[in-house]
Amino acid sequence: MTSALISAIKKLHISVVPQIRVYSSNVAAAATSSANNLSITKKDWGFQPQYTKPREVWIENLDTVEEQKLGLFELHPLVFAAPPRIDIINQNVVWQRKIRFVSWAHTKTRAEVRGGGRKPWPQKGLGRARHGSIRSPLFRGGGIAHGPRAGKSHFFMLPFHLRVHGLTTTLSAKLAQDDLHIVKDLELPTDDPEYLNELIEKRNWGPSVLLVDDTDLAPRNIIAASDTMGHINVMPVYGLNVYSMLKHDTLVLTLSAAEKIEERLLHWLHANTTKEQQPFKLSQV
Amino acid sequence: MAWLGSTVLNLFWKPSVNIVRTRYHAEKQRVIKRYGFEEQIWNGGLLPRTSGKPLPMPEYRPANPWSERKALFGQNDYIDILGPGDLHPVKTLYTVPSWIRGVNGNEYQILLRKRKMLGQAGLRQVRPTKWKDLQRRISFLYRKLNRKTKTGPSPI
Repeated sequence: MTSALISAIKKLHISVVPQIRVYSSNVAAAATSSANNLSITKKDWGFQPQYTKPREVWIENLDTVEEQKLGLFELHPLVFAAPPRIDIINQNVVWQRKIRFVSWAHTKTRAEVRGGGRKPWPQKGLGRARHGSIRSPLFRGGGIAHGPRAGKSHFFMLPFHLRVHGLTTTLSAKLAQDDLHIVKDLELPTDDPEYLNELIEKRNWGPSVLLVDDTDLAPRNIIAASDTMGHINVMPVYGLNVYSMLKHDTLVLTLSAAEKIEERLLHWLHANTTKEQQPFKLSQV
Repeated sequence: MAWLGSTVLNLFWKPSVNIVRTRYHAEKQRVIKRYGFEEQIWNGGLLPRTSGKPLPMPEYRPANPWSERKALFGQNDYIDILGPGDLHPVKTLYTVPSWIRGVNGNEYQILLRKRKMLGQAGLRQVRPTKWKDLQRRISFLYRKLNRKTKTGPSPI
């Protein structure tokens, strides 16, 4: 009976293909092979992907309106193929809104409203209700009891790893939804906004685009072209955040920016973060 | 046997009957109901404002969702992760006044911090009334929290 089962299973031809790319020691750190002018980059990360394959993306260009595929690029699955945890994304967005939100709604108490020191009428003998101040909360124009007081802060720090995973899961969701593109650099041939509009329209990048570069100073042409359009923004790597990635339809990373993001996030995913996980103390930042 | 013949005839043959109409609906005279009665109550919806000033409705000005403040909202919030690591996002909250930046607490705690930071910056001399109100509020909250309410759970 058992042997019959085993032979039946063998007939099914179930073959297990190892999903893990095995690196041999003679593979160069970043092997770049160029065939048909297509650069294919196989990356050798400090932290190898263990259970999932690297994600491959096309390297695109910005110097022509038509899309040209300049090469293939690999993205680390821990950063760009994380599970789509929308709860973490939501926590990150709420955190981003709350850390800078201070409610300045304000009301004056009976002590702060001007005047009201004198007793409005005698305690007895007039047939009227007893009152001690015209600024009492009962009076029109009086103070407000239990009103909002200015400077209500909603600050809190989201746990460190929730913020790291907020970045990875948002980047992964963007990539999975075909909203993340890798370009070689941000060099444009002209500073005409029409050119940039046409390019975005042609490539179906959606109305709003967030371009991320590794450097603080982006090329002049891209800045001049996107200056008049509020929905096309350029950001350095360290400015990238979950809220902006969600607000913009398309995220465009340069090669170096993608590598930098990958490097930073892989570092924090593997580093000892006991110091970062401590409760937030304002005196220590 | 004439009844048999008529029964058979009735059974198999029915005369065709054409209804000739002499009175048509369109030609009917309408009865005017409640003639001479004028409805005094408005039943046509919301009351029109025909006289006097129009309601002070503000002119619709659509907000620009891509103004610089909104388009770049949240920039540098992950600078401690993506940046070189020597800067905390709280340090980049430039839009929040410094005495409340990165602080959370009840009104008493916030006001104590405000007094500590702004008292040295000259609030006492520049805004004496504000300073006096601040002092009164702090002493009021001190008495309320310490003498009239139970101590809540410790935050940490």
